[in-house]
Amino acid sequence: MIEFKDVHVSYEASAPILKGVNFAIRDGEFVAFVGTNGAGKSTTMRLMNGLLKPDAGQVLIDGVSTAELRTSELARRVGFLFQNPDRQICCTTVREELLFGFRALGQAGAEADARVDAIIEEFGFDPDDDPFLLNRGARQLLALASIVVLAPPVVVLDEPTTGLDYRECEKVMAIIRRIHEQGATVIMVCHDMEVVADYATRCIVMSDGRVVDDAPTFEVLRNRDTLERASLVPPQIVDLSLELGRAIPRLADAPVGSANTVDEMLAAVVEEARGAQDEERSVSA
Amino acid sequence: MSAFLEYVPGTSPLHRMNPVAKLAAAALFAVACFCSSNLVFLAVLLACGFALAATCGMLRPAVGLAKAVFAFSLILTLVQILTTPTGAVLVALPWGYIGTGSLLAALTTVVRLVAAAIPLFLVFYVTKMNDITNAVVKVLHVPYKYAFTFTSTIHFIPLFMNDMKGIMEAQTARGVEFDAGGIVRKVRLMVPLCVPLLVSSVRKTNSAAIAAEVRGFNLRTASSGYKEYPFAAFDVAAMAAAVALVVCAVALGIVL
Repeated sequence: MIEFKDVHVSYEASAPILKGVNFAIRDGEFVAFVGTNGAGKSTTMRLMNGLLKPDAGQVLIDGVSTAELRTSELARRVGFLFQNPDRQICCTTVREELLFGFRALGQAGAEADARVDAIIEEFGFDPDDDPFLLNRGARQLLALASIVVLAPPVVVLDEPTTGLDYRECEKVMAIIRRIHEQGATVIMVCHDMEVVADYATRCIVMSDGRVVDDAPTFEVLRNRDTLERASLVPPQIVDLSLELGRAIPRLADAPVGSANTVDEMLAAVVEEARGAQDEERSVSA
Repeated sequence: MSAFLEYVPGTSPLHRMNPVAKLAAAALFAVACFCSSNLVFLAVLLACGFALAATCGMLRPAVGLAKAVFAFSLILTLVQILTTPTGAVLVALPWGYIGTGSLLAALTTVVRLVAAAIPLFLVFYVTKMNDITNAVVKVLHVPYKYAFTFTSTIHFIPLFMNDMKGIMEAQTARGVEFDAGGIVRKVRLMVPLCVPLLVSSVRKTNSAAIAAEVRGFNLRTASSGYKEYPFAAFDVAAMAAAVALVVCAVALGIVL
């Protein structure tokens, strides 16, 4: 469990970044942090693995304050994927890169080798490839793989899909979903509301160093006030659903007005069309 | 707070000075430091350096810089202490001795390096990099590509420092302990830092070169810049003061 208790952080005394952040994330949750640039999301992520310590308040990982733990100790519990994979990649082959984390944590050995082999096969890497010669998407996948291979119980992802094309984004997110289904807690900063809607079950909205909303994802994405406060644009289907509900008040409480996904919208529209057809028939009869 | 060697906006006299005058005065100041071995004179120059930093609100970076230069010069002072056997004997060594003169010489070296460095570094905190490049091209008629290369090199230092910080954070997040273990372990840990930094610096340099070329880098001449850099009385006075310091340093060396 990760708990933030009245956390304050400032890089300069005159410009606080976090101004009393409170939340708790239970084991196994998939949480997305959203908000504009400068809202304090990345700072919040850096607090979770001890790269940053709070100026005031507490960050607790399984009840232990990060101030009492070394970042290397936290690395066993919290895997962190940086936005830029080039800062993370440092070895000359894919295999070495995947083994790097084990060596840093003093866990190199037969078990580590076996896990690396399994990850290489799963991700479809060539173990002898030079990581720096891979394309951007493949480097991001490798950076993610080097976290996944260590199997940390918590995975923190700072904008994992930035700079990726649709196919690469889908691939990265499919892996993230899989590690979540295997029991890992996933915490992700993301600007793409479509990705947030598709994957996260809970959404924490930040603005100006504060949490302004914390609720199930679609509850947040359907809340116009929250979206406006954090300058967010909802996913297209949610937007369409909200707009239909606003334009035709009768639909606001109907399935069309509450559809969150393409499938839900399709079913709702079909139902609505059939209803209209039936009504037309009864009128003409 | 600005990054290392990054321009800090301001309206102090140093900010308003002609960039060439600032560079020349700082260089002459450094020459004065190296022309004298008089500890009192060097201490006065050091105090002048801090006073200059205070006039433009850069005292804290100047103190930070002084600490960094001091740490760097410790290696030199150690060599000097062990290899300059002068003055009253304090500690006997198999190849000579450490004397009061050795300590004085070492102290002089530290003060000299710190005093010489402060104004040179201060120039970059109080002058926009573009102004340095353009002024050097316009006033000194240095070819643009050389001026650009010089300022780009300086410009990249804080960027690379920022990259290094990011890379260290990424490795720390993977369990690397940079603050633990002996010197051999620390040197070994630097390798994983150097590789991504090197790759990132090559990529950045390449991108900068392409960006410069597509914007007509090779067509640029001294007349391309619209901004003029005239010398004011204050600029002339500053350079005259710097020349006077060099003269004093040389004179002290002859007299004492």
